[in-house]
Amino acid sequence: MTSTTGPARPGPPARLPLRRPAQGRRIAGVCAGIAAHLGLPVGVVRLVIVAASLAYGVGIVFYVFLWVTVPVGDPAAVASYERPAALSRLAPRLRAEGRPVPVTDIGIGLILLIVAGLLVAIRRGVTIQFSWVVPTLILLAGTALAWSQLDRVQRERWLSRAGGRTPVSALRLVGGMALVGIGVLLLVGQAAPVGDLLRSAVAALAVLAGAVIVLAPWWLRLVRELGDERAARAREAVRADIAAHLHDSVLQTLALIRTRADQPAEVSRMARAQERELREWLYDDRSEPGTSLAAELRGVVGEVEDGRAVAIEAVVVGDRVPDADTEALLQATREALVNAVQHGRPPVSLYLEVAPDAVEVFVRDRGDGFDLDTVPLDRFGVRESIMGRVRRRGGTASVTSHPDRGTEVHLRIPVRAAGDQAADQSRNGSA
Amino acid sequence: MSDGEGPATGTGVGSRAPVDVVLVDDHLMFRTGVRASLDARVRVVGEADDVDSAVARVRALAPPVVLLDVHLPGGNGGGGAEVIASCVDLLGSVRFLALSVSDAAEDVVAVIRAGARGYVTKAISGPDLSDAVVRVAGGDAVFSPRLAGFVLDAFGTVAGDVAVADDELDRLSAREREVMRLIARGYSYREVASELFISIKTVETHVSAVLRKLQLSSRYELTRWAAARRLL
Repeated sequence: MTSTTGPARPGPPARLPLRRPAQGRRIAGVCAGIAAHLGLPVGVVRLVIVAASLAYGVGIVFYVFLWVTVPVGDPAAVASYERPAALSRLAPRLRAEGRPVPVTDIGIGLILLIVAGLLVAIRRGVTIQFSWVVPTLILLAGTALAWSQLDRVQRERWLSRAGGRTPVSALRLVGGMALVGIGVLLLVGQAAPVGDLLRSAVAALAVLAGAVIVLAPWWLRLVRELGDERAARAREAVRADIAAHLHDSVLQTLALIRTRADQPAEVSRMARAQERELREWLYDDRSEPGTSLAAELRGVVGEVEDGRAVAIEAVVVGDRVPDADTEALLQATREALVNAVQHGRPPVSLYLEVAPDAVEVFVRDRGDGFDLDTVPLDRFGVRESIMGRVRRRGGTASVTSHPDRGTEVHLRIPVRAAGDQAADQSRNGSA
Repeated sequence: MSDGEGPATGTGVGSRAPVDVVLVDDHLMFRTGVRASLDARVRVVGEADDVDSAVARVRALAPPVVLLDVHLPGGNGGGGAEVIASCVDLLGSVRFLALSVSDAAEDVVAVIRAGARGYVTKAISGPDLSDAVVRVAGGDAVFSPRLAGFVLDAFGTVAGDVAVADDELDRLSAREREVMRLIARGYSYREVASELFISIKTVETHVSAVLRKLQLSSRYELTRWAAARRLL
């Protein structure tokens, strides 16, 4: 009731998938991603994370965890990627400008700051337990080395730099793991004898090996899911097929136009029809059939344009699920358009507005106009097929005509809200 | 068509000097067509075919009006909106008129929100385009029926939701909505003026106010509407 847009408003699904967008990020895009996923303002999410960071660094851990586990990507792009290819627009969407954050520079700066702070602390006579600091640094370095691997963008850059698959990534992983292992050993076994250290290391490795065996099935399933993702990529190929289909139809139209170059009306009709089809494929996300009044109106406009070879400028505000009332309105609109195209002069304008309680249509041409009272009573066109149709449905219809400004037909039909409509349909179904 | 090309400095009607225009579009054929269809009131002083060269040309020439295609290659993939964003410091003296073959709301509103003073489709006739350029050069906004439809869609058409104060950015006033509705119905500014019994100047004022709201509004529905179309 409160919204002007009908239930069939085409668009991405309600909840966007969790991704780290490249635009609007401050550090790694985690907060921006969460905000897009949950539909919250980014500021609120950032505030929560910062507040959580004050509580023993929980926020920071959470942030880093998501940084590592959530892939980079534009949530809306991913969501539209999941739409059926046949319903999505083909033309690329404009990207909002984003300033990339120099994460590497900030990281290096932070490390330098920490080292400087440590040096100053030593100078001031603070004793720092290097038995803790050095292993921790080794641990962090190892983690960073292994995790940097998970950032897909970076990995692709590595691959492309080396020209294909290289052992570099594997080397980074193994090196990182080795560093982490050493760091942990040094950290845990502070003053333990070397023999104990070795023995416990072997024990730890054995436990790890056992865990690997247990976890192997899951690992295999992950691999299978990767295969599913490849299948998704195959859908992209379907999309390419659609593009190819379009190119075919364009080429055929062009060939037809060449052979009929001496029939201007025919050529302009074909060009207009082709333009409409291409436009629809390129710039619109199409809705499921039977769910959008706007789409049905476009269909009507297309039929009239094809029949008469006149361009109609159609503007639609709002949308709703079509029902019997709007169907009558569409029929009347078609008659009004045909009338305008036949008796008026182009350009013909069509405006449809969907409000919560009514649907309004204006059809306007730039002809010389006519006086409704002079039209003979037996002329069926305007009186019956346009005005009568709408009035029988409880709507209003009027025609205004000026000799210098053309004719405008105004149709208005009251409609019920979407909820009532559904109730009505179920009642009809049970009767 | 007759004398649209060449310097044409003194050959105009003499009422006003022609408006200098930089033409930005990635299709040579389209640029040639526009060049030929513009009349003596407009003079093309430069052309560009991608984001980077467009920014360079606009900065070098600082023309009063830039005719800007919405979809452009190059840059960061932001198209016409990116060109405007890169020239944002010039917006006081350089005015952008978006020209697009796309009807998609997101494409159009992206360039308008970036700072364009109007939007016309590429199907526009030569004289109409020249009119639009002169209008934009004079500081007015150019609304096509389609853009008026987008505005109504974004700001909502529910009767109770009307701005009462002039400085309210998030809602249209009743008069502005009436003007938008008439433009969406295919009325020219002159026809809107005579329909509402106001002067053309007043219509222009209303349209400029709507443009400003469209560019600056933080209305929740507008934001959500734009986000659904990936604008913000």
